[in-house]
Amino acid sequence: MFDILVIGGGHAGVEAAYISSQFNSLNIGIVTLKDVPLASAPCNPSIGGVGKGQVVREIDAMGGITGKLADLSGIQFRTLNESKGYAVQSTRIQIDKDLYSQNAESIINEIPNINVIRDKILKISKKDDIFLVSSLNHEYKAKKLIMTVGTFLNGRMHTGSSQISGGRSECESSESLDSMFSGVKKVNKRFKTGTPPRLDSSTIDYSLLVEQPSDASVETFHVLHGTIDRFVKQKSCYIAHTNPATMSIIRDNKEKSPMFNGQIDAVGARYCPSIEDKAYRYPDRDIHHVFVEPEGLNLKTMYPSGISTSLPGDIQSQMIKSIEGLENAEILQYGYAVEYDVIDTTELKYSLEHKSFDGLYFAGQVNGTSGYEEAAAQGLVAGMNAALKLNCSDELRISRVDSYIGVMIEDLISNLRDEPYRLFTARSENRLFIREDNAIIRMYKYRCHLQLDLPIDRYSKDFVNCFEILLNLLDKTYISNDDSFLELIDFKIARRMSLSELVRQASLNPIETLKQYFLHLNVDIDPRVLRCLSISIKYSGYITKADSINSSISKIDNKKINWKELSQSENISFECKQRIERIKPEFFGQLRIMEGIRPATLSAVAGTIK
Amino acid sequence: MFFENTDDPIIACSTGGFKNTAIAIIRISGSDILNITSNFFSLKIDKIKVRYAHYCKIIHKDKIYDDIILTYFKGPNSYNGEDILELSVHGNILNINRIIDLFTDNSPIRLAYPGEFTSRALKNKKLTLNQVEGLDLLINANSLYNLDQGFSLLSGELQDAYELLYQSFLTHKSCIEFGFDFYEDIGETQFHKNLNDSFQKLQDSIFKLHKHTLNSNDNLLNPQIALIGLPNAGKSSLFNKLLSNNRAIVSDVEGTTRDFISEKLFIDNVNYSLIDTAGIRDSKDFVESLGVQSSLKILNQSFFKILVINPFLLDENFYKSLDFSVIDLIIYTHSDLDGFDNAKANFESFLFNINVNITFKPLLSNLLNSDLSGPIEPTKSGPIEPLKSGPIEPTKSGPIEPLKSGPIEPTKSGPIEPTKTGPIEPKLNQLVLKYLAISNIDSFNSTAPILSEISSKYLISLEFDPIMIKRQVNSISKLNNLFTDYSNVFTEINDISIVASELNIVGHCITELIGIISPDDILNNIFSNFCIGK
Repeated sequence: MFDILVIGGGHAGVEAAYISSQFNSLNIGIVTLKDVPLASAPCNPSIGGVGKGQVVREIDAMGGITGKLADLSGIQFRTLNESKGYAVQSTRIQIDKDLYSQNAESIINEIPNINVIRDKILKISKKDDIFLVSSLNHEYKAKKLIMTVGTFLNGRMHTGSSQISGGRSECESSESLDSMFSGVKKVNKRFKTGTPPRLDSSTIDYSLLVEQPSDASVETFHVLHGTIDRFVKQKSCYIAHTNPATMSIIRDNKEKSPMFNGQIDAVGARYCPSIEDKAYRYPDRDIHHVFVEPEGLNLKTMYPSGISTSLPGDIQSQMIKSIEGLENAEILQYGYAVEYDVIDTTELKYSLEHKSFDGLYFAGQVNGTSGYEEAAAQGLVAGMNAALKLNCSDELRISRVDSYIGVMIEDLISNLRDEPYRLFTARSENRLFIREDNAIIRMYKYRCHLQLDLPIDRYSKDFVNCFEILLNLLDKTYISNDDSFLELIDFKIARRMSLSELVRQASLNPIETLKQYFLHLNVDIDPRVLRCLSISIKYSGYITKADSINSSISKIDNKKINWKELSQSENISFECKQRIERIKPEFFGQLRIMEGIRPATLSAVAGTIK
Repeated sequence: MFFENTDDPIIACSTGGFKNTAIAIIRISGSDILNITSNFFSLKIDKIKVRYAHYCKIIHKDKIYDDIILTYFKGPNSYNGEDILELSVHGNILNINRIIDLFTDNSPIRLAYPGEFTSRALKNKKLTLNQVEGLDLLINANSLYNLDQGFSLLSGELQDAYELLYQSFLTHKSCIEFGFDFYEDIGETQFHKNLNDSFQKLQDSIFKLHKHTLNSNDNLLNPQIALIGLPNAGKSSLFNKLLSNNRAIVSDVEGTTRDFISEKLFIDNVNYSLIDTAGIRDSKDFVESLGVQSSLKILNQSFFKILVINPFLLDENFYKSLDFSVIDLIIYTHSDLDGFDNAKANFESFLFNINVNITFKPLLSNLLNSDLSGPIEPTKSGPIEPLKSGPIEPTKSGPIEPLKSGPIEPTKSGPIEPTKTGPIEPKLNQLVLKYLAISNIDSFNSTAPILSEISSKYLISLEFDPIMIKRQVNSISKLNNLFTDYSNVFTEINDISIVASELNIVGHCITELIGIISPDDILNNIFSNFCIGK
């Protein structure tokens, strides 16, 4: 009998098992298909990115595994949006995908209270609060069940006119949700995602591409790793471009694309268009970036990001060969599109537990999200909440005010998805605050709620203490205009000012300034604390300003509303009532972000809140 | 104050209430009001049909109070979504009050707070915030133009204009977000180009909107005409003269309690308040007395300011302390007295000597070539159409020539300003003021050019299509200020994430303006400006 059984060994499943195993009295199981390695990366070989980098650091601060795995397998480190300001800067690590899975396997296998079972689940039922999970030969029992079945739910792959049942290349798919579990509502539409063809690295002429080397100054994700440690050899990425010839090949073969000839009617994400989408949607644009990324140190395959496709194989070859530098490139695995079922996430609670099935949790791509990071974050939320519930602790609701995880969870449970969900920094109202550098500060209170005492807990406690002491100190330490430190940083001030004020000076780099300051005092400060401190001081004024504007809204956002009453009100339009009944918003803020709720309804509801 | 979330039965008189009228309408609103009030009517409850006019009596303890027409609206199909009883009663104020007292004393029905009916309409989603404001404008309209604005708000036309602003905001915001979240899809150069282009568009739309509001405040909603001048300058006789043929249809009840005299003046479909600032009693008082604050306030608020001058009275303190730049028109009185011309010339050099440097321009009458009967009514009928001509003096064309003759300036001969010949060309920064000389023996016709001047200014102000609702004017002005701050951040700060955060502040202001988010204080403000029962 398992306390928690996780169905699926992807990024969500591994994260769910990893976090719940930290409650070491619990007995955890992962059931996963036998051909699929744990935490595998079937699409782009990278972790992080804009918004996603922040999520990885939040997961790490919560005691998750994703940041650790990314560091250990990282072959190219980059900071995105470097020119646009600290708040939107994000880390992205290209990973060796084989290494990533190997590291996941070895870490998980070493954890005594996790059991990894390779089996295919055919049926799930529930009897007397116990889940009965059956495969062909076995029946497993569990108190809590976490479903992280990804694209395998009734998955179907398309390359040209050929269709195979399955969630990814060379893997079989799970049974459909209907046959496993009746009563859980699906979204009416199936979702679609796609992946590009993989190229043979030795057949690419790199001299014709633009090289993007790894940046040695980028900080690792996992806070217990050395700040700029690298664990394996580094490798470059390359940039290629499509041209008019490439695009006309695609345009001339429109009728052969399953997405455009009616073979697939599932919805793809607008933010992640296939190369067919780009060709037909922007008929005037022929030049698109193609990021050629290594999939590993020893793997022959290169991942050409930006040209995911489901065209027939011969067309894919023609298209690739039309690109400068790829003239002789051989395709090792054709690109394909996969369509799959997703569940109706408006039936989930903040803990990702299903509202109608006690003890049943859903996380990851099955919830209609895309991306390893989004999946992992949900796995974390589901895993820790399942564990908390077994310990009879309160549900942990992570707020959208202080994390991208919170933003995502609330977005998911408040709106019916009509396309795959991805995190954007634009989704957060508090972007200046929700940064990579202060993830520990933001997540500390949530991590404390778990009441665990692991190295990450001790590190976070020191981090937070050190941060608060220094923040206070810098406010109260004054620099006069003849201070020798100013010569060191080659800066002049007209009058005496606090160090905080100095750090905020527009023409100074806040991190360098503080670094120099502590260096000249001979004080050694954790570079992660230093970075967080500098940027926090730099932004404090702007954050306060944004807060005061937000506060009138957030004050009312946190007010409870009675959706039952609203759904029966004679004075709210039928359409709005339907939406309210379906989503069952508990807080005004949730109602506010719901699609299709009219301003007048909001005004009306706001008027009834005391 | 903010209304509690209740559906208590409430009562109020929805019509006038200050005067005796033939009929008044009393409204009762709430849930289950039929049962609560059933004992007060000669009609049985089950006989009352929804939206039918029923003739019956108000009876209590065998005493008949009134014969009334009763109409019942069942929620949610009523003005505010609740059950409403409308009682058309005889409009004697005593009668109205007696009936209201009857209900409040003998049933759970209480007197409504100002604006409470409408508050409930908003709560019950019968109206949007902007519609409520439109209704406010409709009810309190002081001119036909206001009425038009009220209707256009109710039909949401103005909102369309705002949504355009919202669109340009969204475009700008999208440019920034796109640059962040899809930074690999867009080059640095293109990003900055998009950013600057969209910034420009947003700036244009905000400036345009702001220009509309510049003329617009209480000035135009409730336009005041202020007469200022020394005692015995002739303000009172001008006051009476202006009123003589244009006395307003509504009398200002509150006027009696103030330390100035105010009457309603109706010119070309617009209700003005004509104010004689009698508070300014003597020259020293003007600077020192306690009344100076309120007089200055009136002066500031006034839409049209007339300085009344008796050129025989020279008072240095008074004229030195007066801000001539706010004056719209100068009226010289006593033009029938001997030596007026000399006195006037003398007065003007007196002003010059105390460093008040003004060029005086005669106010021309557009009556010169038409007959002299009756007051001037440039737009006698139909809706007010804004004048198309740009400058403030619609009657002007070509260089200003000294007036040779005419009824307005009977004593004039030769140029007004002996020192100047030919067209008057005011120097840069020199104040140009129009004047008119009148005498006590002139007929009231002599005020016609004054009225025409006031009307012209009003129409020209309207040409900017001002948005007159106070909350919106305030919001737009706030938006304009916030946008100025934002422009500084936009041009000075390299950190685009800070720029984006500052833009959100502008964004909140825009949503506030459009009424999507309605913080409590906006509601409170609106409702406290509503009259009972409307």
